[in-house]
Amino acid sequence: MEISRRDFMHIAAIFGLGAATSSMASSKTPAQISLKDIYDFKATGNFTLLHMCDIHAHIKPLYWREPSTLISAPNLVGTPGFLCGESFAKHYGLEPSSLDAYFDTHMDFEALAKKFGKMGGIAHMKTYLDHVRKERGKENVLFLDSGDTWQGTGVALKTGGEAIVKAQNYLGVDVMVGHWEFTYGKERVKELIEMLDAKFISQNVVGDDSFADDYEELIFEPYTIQERGGAKIGIIGQSFPFTSTANPKEFTEGWSFGLRLDTLQEYVNELRKEHKVDCVVVLSHDGFSVDQEVARQVHGIDFILSGHTHDPSPKPIVIDGTVIVIAGSHGKYVGRLDIDAKNGKVHGYEYKLVPIASNMIPADPAGVKLVDELYAPFATEFNEVLGKTKNTLYKRDTFFSTFDQLINDAIMDEMKCDLSFTPGYRWGTTVLAGEDILMDNVYEMCGITYPNVYTFELKGSKIATLLEDIADNVFNANPLYQQGGDMSRLGGVTYSIAVANKAGTRISKLMIGGKPIDLDKTYIVSSWGGNLQNAGDNLQKDKIRAVYDVTRDYIKRQKVVDVSNKGNVTLLDYECGCPTKGSRGC
Amino acid sequence: MQRRDFFKKLGTVVAVSAVAPMMSFAADEKKPKGPNEFSYEKAVEAITDGKGAKTSSKITLKVPEIAENGAVVPVSVTVDSPMSESDYVKAIHIFATKNNNSRCLAVHLTPANGKAMIATRVKLGGTQEVAALVEMSDGTFLTASQSVKVTIGGCG
Repeated sequence: MEISRRDFMHIAAIFGLGAATSSMASSKTPAQISLKDIYDFKATGNFTLLHMCDIHAHIKPLYWREPSTLISAPNLVGTPGFLCGESFAKHYGLEPSSLDAYFDTHMDFEALAKKFGKMGGIAHMKTYLDHVRKERGKENVLFLDSGDTWQGTGVALKTGGEAIVKAQNYLGVDVMVGHWEFTYGKERVKELIEMLDAKFISQNVVGDDSFADDYEELIFEPYTIQERGGAKIGIIGQSFPFTSTANPKEFTEGWSFGLRLDTLQEYVNELRKEHKVDCVVVLSHDGFSVDQEVARQVHGIDFILSGHTHDPSPKPIVIDGTVIVIAGSHGKYVGRLDIDAKNGKVHGYEYKLVPIASNMIPADPAGVKLVDELYAPFATEFNEVLGKTKNTLYKRDTFFSTFDQLINDAIMDEMKCDLSFTPGYRWGTTVLAGEDILMDNVYEMCGITYPNVYTFELKGSKIATLLEDIADNVFNANPLYQQGGDMSRLGGVTYSIAVANKAGTRISKLMIGGKPIDLDKTYIVSSWGGNLQNAGDNLQKDKIRAVYDVTRDYIKRQKVVDVSNKGNVTLLDYECGCPTKGSRGC
Repeated sequence: MQRRDFFKKLGTVVAVSAVAPMMSFAADEKKPKGPNEFSYEKAVEAITDGKGAKTSSKITLKVPEIAENGAVVPVSVTVDSPMSESDYVKAIHIFATKNNNSRCLAVHLTPANGKAMIATRVKLGGTQEVAALVEMSDGTFLTASQSVKVTIGGCG
């Protein structure tokens, strides 16, 4: 479906985009957009930081649809980190149907996917990185990675992360931090760091085992000082502060995480006073909204290169003198940050979020070869066509997305449970309507190191409390109390939610199997990817199976899956999925 | 202060921390009720003799926003005080405000401690405020608190 001129004018009028400016003209086709448009940049200063975050092991190009629902507490609505669709386009002045609109929003996604094609991929990313290295001089460029790099695809899972480390070495990553990296377990993390050319730094991971040698000691180097373009750049690492609650504890037993803002401040001071750096950078996996809070509480940071929440932010935000950028997810973007810093001070900067449009940026042949080699051992399994999908399968949104629903359907069908939980991660994939679903796609949705679906009993009252607890992790008005994911997706359940209500009172009309929840009744629950089974009783051990196997078998049985985008959650206090600042509507 | 006195005082500190149970599962009817068994509000009333405490930025209460493990939540309290004979911190109490037995720890200090700082781990029964109540040598009370989330699940 093409947007007609009349539609465009209508949309433009709604958004007030009449005078919108963008580097990309609205209806240029790939052939009309030149590389020059994508590469266009006003080079500034003495060095460049290139940035990626949350590529989730996507070394090949993919389709990735941004959220159509991104709800938060009223005080955060419409602020960067909680922008999507129409409110995103309005905030950043995107032109409808432009390449930027295709990359940054869900609007008209299917039509634009046909027009612009896939996104990301290391071979295409490398071409862009090398372009900048050539333009600026290799010795003036650093490439920083905010983490969530080693996990998220079949090839990552099957090689224990090694394929992705090879990809990072090929791309030339200089420094990284972590989150899902830790789900390979402490020992494997150390092995992978050995293979990695980049430095792995974190000031907020500390030994927690009083019997171990590293008790209360840093596990990784807290920071690194790099010289580029005659400037001394201090880079402090901040891994995901809530790794031990968001993912199973056993992977990081003996390590403690946390925001640790007091020590962060000490390292900032140390870099400035003792090492006399020209620029202080925090390479972070805190999340975009948490890092805005970090900028308010910690003084003297010049730049935060953020990650975790998968926000594409075309413009930096500045809080108390700290500039914060974040570069989307799934390898869709590279952030380019040119900095002018000398004599202990930043004098200026220029930023652009560069879309890695893989139909436009040519592939580097060495990258294509590397990807082929890494995938070759698994080609037969990954390329198996499991079935077709009638509607677009996607992941994201605050309450519901179609690929999650498909996984819940698969679990409900096999486990014969009353309800199922699928985690509200923000990584995954998109399969366009009418296309084949490959086994590779299933791994892209649920390829984790703890894939078991557990089936157990939970009392109604506990289910209700759990849901409120999860809702408060997502909707707390204070970003420091959020964990940066979305609501768990539920199969067999419908409910209403008032996001702005106080903790513990948000959810109403909770129905299981079409009937109001009975708080005294014991329900059969299946879940994966979380800790819920620890709260349940009578675990059915004979039913335990990996979620990707359950999903594969279900799709094969169905042949054609038909999941509608009609969600199971009624949102009571907002009128749309992408509300604008200060309102409950769009 | 005599060395012997110091050890006596030190002994008191240790004893107090040792008898302050983090949690008791059933109320023991025979035991006389003390601040450990009181609710948070009642305990504050009993300790301050009804005077109450003033929120103060002199107290640095360090506790994580989200507990990694609700059973062992690290808490530290530092009070900005000269710890001189005329102006010192007499006692620091730590509360898990919604636990059944809300007082987790009480530490009595003298100027000889040199620094008003304690660190411990407390068990939290659920998401709640953790509070420090500080008794000053002039008989006034200061307080500081922070919410700690204890959560089963998270999202990636």
